[in-house]
Amino acid sequence: MNRDRLLLCLYLAGILAATLVHDPVWLGAGLALVLLLAGGDALRLLRRALLAILAFNAIISLSYALMAWWQDISPWLTLVRLNLRVLLLTSLTFLFIARANLFRALDFSKGLTYVLGLAYSQALTFRRAHEDFRLALASRSLRRPSLMDRYRASAAAASWYLEKSLHAANQSAQALRSRGFFHD
Amino acid sequence: MHIPDGFISPQTYLPAYALAAGLWGYAARRVHRQLDADTLPFVAAYTALAFVLMMVALPLPGGTTAHAAGIGLLAVCFGGWMAFLAISLVLAMQALLFGDGGITALPINALAMGLVGSFCALAAWKLLTRLHETLALFLAGWLSIVVPAALVAVVLGMQPAIAHDAQGAPLFFPFGLSITLPAVVLPHVLVGIAEGVLTVLGYRYLTRLRSRLAA
Repeated sequence: MNRDRLLLCLYLAGILAATLVHDPVWLGAGLALVLLLAGGDALRLLRRALLAILAFNAIISLSYALMAWWQDISPWLTLVRLNLRVLLLTSLTFLFIARANLFRALDFSKGLTYVLGLAYSQALTFRRAHEDFRLALASRSLRRPSLMDRYRASAAAASWYLEKSLHAANQSAQALRSRGFFHD
Repeated sequence: MHIPDGFISPQTYLPAYALAAGLWGYAARRVHRQLDADTLPFVAAYTALAFVLMMVALPLPGGTTAHAAGIGLLAVCFGGWMAFLAISLVLAMQALLFGDGGITALPINALAMGLVGSFCALAAWKLLTRLHETLALFLAGWLSIVVPAALVAVVLGMQPAIAHDAQGAPLFFPFGLSITLPAVVLPHVLVGIAEGVLTVLGYRYLTRLRSRLAA
């Protein structure tokens, strides 16, 4: 078993353990362990995880606190447990992403690795293009774009993605065929 | 509609993984029958397309935005199993490569959005397309959002009953069905309208594009 597949197995075991433990002390200990494993990146990892969960968890926590106050029950244990668990799982995922190479972890399947590799590379290209489209609209608008302008911009971006993905698929098909991928 | 990590109990996500794994295997075999130098890159391209469609913001009146999913469009254009695989791959990529979404929520999201959403869209398209193509496409898009949202709301709303401590306090998602159903489904009824419009326009555009490429 290669290192990345081992890390994937450890990550999945960690995820399972974090959802089987319900004591906030153990969840806190798990979070401390993850941060310890992150070493010098611990603070950056914690900040990134906190930012990722902030909006959703804030809404859920505030709503639950309000409901608990209305029903005259103590919300603290539930809120601490819930938020610690979400933070632990998110930090663990970010640590896995930073330390492991998913493509090497999944290299037992040639087809899966190729599909994932092709999809990931195109997704990265599209993500950069998406940011470019957003900045292009912002830089060409003196005021906040109107609803119709934003519809037009979204439609133009979507049509570019559709066209680009069909072209990319044709190009990849030709590249795979010319390299004898299906006859190895 | 995505459920983040930490809100789904293992009593829910472990059986969901078992079910999803079986269906992923079946879908892969179905797609693999046609898998050659042409179809393999197309699976990747559709996955990237689904990924980016989820990034396209659909502006709503009032300054807010909703995000397209492209499930209806993928299902109508490329079939239910292909759409299921593409959406599942997108969710896996988002969870494991971009750190967006959740690994415990992956099978629920994949089954709800990828499987149920795709096949609801396909059913609406096949049943109604002879009567009115535009209506069929619109309903395909609308259903591909609203039905998965209802399913996700049910799964979330069941968590307090499935996993709670000795005092009855919830261990995972803390709200029951009476809250999750209206809170999740009602906004998606509106988002579904935008998705329906996207499906109609996207299908028309893709049909034109394919015939242009074939020419």
